[in-house]
Amino acid sequence: MMEVVDFVINSLVFPGLLFVSLVGLLYVGIDRKVTGHMQHRIGPPIWQEYLDMGKLLSKEDITPSAAQSFVFNIVPLVSLGAIVAVMLFLPVTSAQPALISVADLIVIIYLLNIPAICVMLGGYSSGSPFGASGAGRYVVQLLSYEFVFILAIIAVVARVGSLSLGTVVVYQAQQGWLVLDWRLLPAAIAALIAAQGKLLRVPFDIPEAESEIVHGALTEYSGPKLAIWRLAYDIETIVVAGLLVALFFGGPTTYVIGGTQIPGVVDFLIKTLAIVLLTTTLRNIMARLRIDQALKFYWSFAALLAIISLVLVLAVP
Amino acid sequence: MPRILPQVLKNVLRKPVTVKYPYVRVEPPEGYRGRPVIDKEKCIRCWLCIRACPDRAISVSKETKKPSIWLGRCTFCGECAEVCPTRAIAMTKEFELATYDIQQAKSE
Amino acid sequence: MTFVLPIGPQHPALKEPEFFRFEVKGEEIVDVDIHLGYAHRGIEEALSRRNYKHNIYLSERICGICNVVHTTTYCQAVEQLAGVEPPERAKYIRAIIMELERIHSHLLWLGIAAFQIGFNTLFMLAWRDREYVMDLREMISGSRVHSATNTIGGVRRDVKTEHVPTILRGLEKLERSTKYYINLFGSDRTILARCTNLGVLSKKDAIKFCAVGPLARASDVKTDIRADDPYGAYDALSFNVVIEREGDVLAKGMVRLREILESIRIVRQALKEMPGGPIRTRVGLQMPPNETVERTEAPRGELLYYIRSNGTDTPERVRVRTPTYGNFASMKSMFVGGTVAEIPIVMWGIDPCFGCNDRVTLVDSRTGKTRIVSFDELRRRRK
Ligand code: SF4
Ligand code: SF4
Repeated sequence: MMEVVDFVINSLVFPGLLFVSLVGLLYVGIDRKVTGHMQHRIGPPIWQEYLDMGKLLSKEDITPSAAQSFVFNIVPLVSLGAIVAVMLFLPVTSAQPALISVADLIVIIYLLNIPAICVMLGGYSSGSPFGASGAGRYVVQLLSYEFVFILAIIAVVARVGSLSLGTVVVYQAQQGWLVLDWRLLPAAIAALIAAQGKLLRVPFDIPEAESEIVHGALTEYSGPKLAIWRLAYDIETIVVAGLLVALFFGGPTTYVIGGTQIPGVVDFLIKTLAIVLLTTTLRNIMARLRIDQALKFYWSFAALLAIISLVLVLAVP
Repeated sequence: MPRILPQVLKNVLRKPVTVKYPYVRVEPPEGYRGRPVIDKEKCIRCWLCIRACPDRAISVSKETKKPSIWLGRCTFCGECAEVCPTRAIAMTKEFELATYDIQQAKSE
Repeated sequence: MTFVLPIGPQHPALKEPEFFRFEVKGEEIVDVDIHLGYAHRGIEEALSRRNYKHNIYLSERICGICNVVHTTTYCQAVEQLAGVEPPERAKYIRAIIMELERIHSHLLWLGIAAFQIGFNTLFMLAWRDREYVMDLREMISGSRVHSATNTIGGVRRDVKTEHVPTILRGLEKLERSTKYYINLFGSDRTILARCTNLGVLSKKDAIKFCAVGPLARASDVKTDIRADDPYGAYDALSFNVVIEREGDVLAKGMVRLREILESIRIVRQALKEMPGGPIRTRVGLQMPPNETVERTEAPRGELLYYIRSNGTDTPERVRVRTPTYGNFASMKSMFVGGTVAEIPIVMWGIDPCFGCNDRVTLVDSRTGKTRIVSFDELRRRRK
């Protein structure tokens, strides 16, 4: 009985839906504010994302007749569910995530792909040429960043010798952050580049390039459904950042400052914010690449980084 | 390294150039061509302004028998103010002219 | 198997309504057709129904961005009909405002080009600097966009002496940031990746299709009405005609950015050498029967006005040929061979202004060589 209650609280309150939604929306709000300042303007207030969410939820839902299908309606929810599920596998307060499994890294990799696949399905079923071409570009993009991302994770796994994220965090608590390990530094950079593509940020915002294909796969979504998409996207931001933190930046650590114990979640929040701000900076200093250029970039430069790292880890003990 | 990075980081520390418009207002400069207003006392009803207006925005008001400017057509060129012999028409700095009330969209 | 990809009249790559019919084979563009007329406002007809004075304000509204150039050309044409010469000071004031307009138009171009390639920071920064020019124009003429400064026989407003230091200070700021943009535009890796070797217009094609303005100058064709056929004060002002060789989007951008520097030089020189004296001569509105052609260099290229008068105070016919119209012929050679993803930025490389352009409707006379795919069909095709 206790386990069930625990599970429900974990998935709905902390670190599940409620917690990540609040933090995710806030982080994207901060991202937008900082973007504004980087572009020398005031930018929206940091709680703007909450207001946008409320606005979208209260708006009318208009679905074009060509898009009316079960798939079109269900994919936002599936994607939200998948991304919240990832959160349960991430170490947030301590090295132990809310849900424990033997090889949770594999589960996470799978679950992280579900939103991407949902976006594609939504785009293809929307019956709009923009949605379809956005989804088409997304397929290519997925093929490019996913390989790099998995390679980088494999490098970490090979170093730690475990497929469990908890073990990775414990390992780092003893041996120091993996990003400081010179063998894994290229992998960390590759993972950051892949995360930039996963989060659809410039220079890899190709699937939703607004000057070319409106809003890509999500063009035909409106009202509450779009709100769910946004929520899923905002949560994805913090989830991907959290995964990077757990993999390379030591995961949540508890500190004792002046006798009081700072819980690991504070550390987690600070580190994820730092990663989000890093991606914000990256997205403000570049132009968008073309899809073929992005593909080439991932498969040559980024993949090379990850492979170098992997070889180093395997060759240099 | 991307060339724009130093500029971007510098901008974070600088004061933004934009202002929160409805709360902070930037005063238009001297000589701004905003809403034309008519001083009915000065008007001598010579109708020069009506002839000068390029888009026939000025008509004679039925009640006051003085010119009345329909801002829906006015292009704020300032020809009427220039041509008026008694300087009865003047261009003001007012530029927020959107309104729901059609009576407000007139200068009389 | 080719099919037709309709772009427009409503499309995110276009800021104004226009219809382009791209024939594509997979991702590659094999042909392009233009259907004009979506922003047709009947302005030429309207111009022949108002008197010469009122027409100034109508011609000002042919294009918002280059309104001073339109009124200057119109006023110069009417002055020619009337046989009067505007005072020297008026000519200098016209040149100053026209050059400020060129600066703002080119910065606007830079901003939207950056937006088209997804570089939002550059977009915002370019438009921030454009605001400085707008403020200067507001100070000089009383309005940010429509200056309403020109009139037949001179200008209506003088550049006041107390404004000169402010203008010079503003130009200094602009010069600094323009140099920065030139540096950035020519060296940022992602910008180069998106702009080099795209939409190339060869010198031969530029001459063959009579390209005008920055588009031609980016293809190594030295054409600039300010230098070739000086009007107004440009005789006395010294400046270089900027040319680039490559003819791609990057070169088109570079030409525009370097022209900003030239414009800044012109404004400085004009402010320094501006003679005193009156700014306006009175001109009667009854024009003797005659006809005239006047051309100027608008920010986008050669602008041409033809006016025929018939002895009354209304012109009989006014014909306007805007630069974008002159550049449409070269579109085909820029697009064909490229890919669909390049359409927005290559299109913007022309700096098209459809509002200016749509005073005529061209009817496409080619017959069914290819099949037109309807929107429904396109939807089923899913690509
Ligand atoms: S400002 Fe110009 S358009 Fe407006 S009423 Fe006066 S003359 Fe007419
Ligand atoms: S020009 Fe002046 S005086 Fe004459 S009618 Fe108009 S407002 Fe009155």
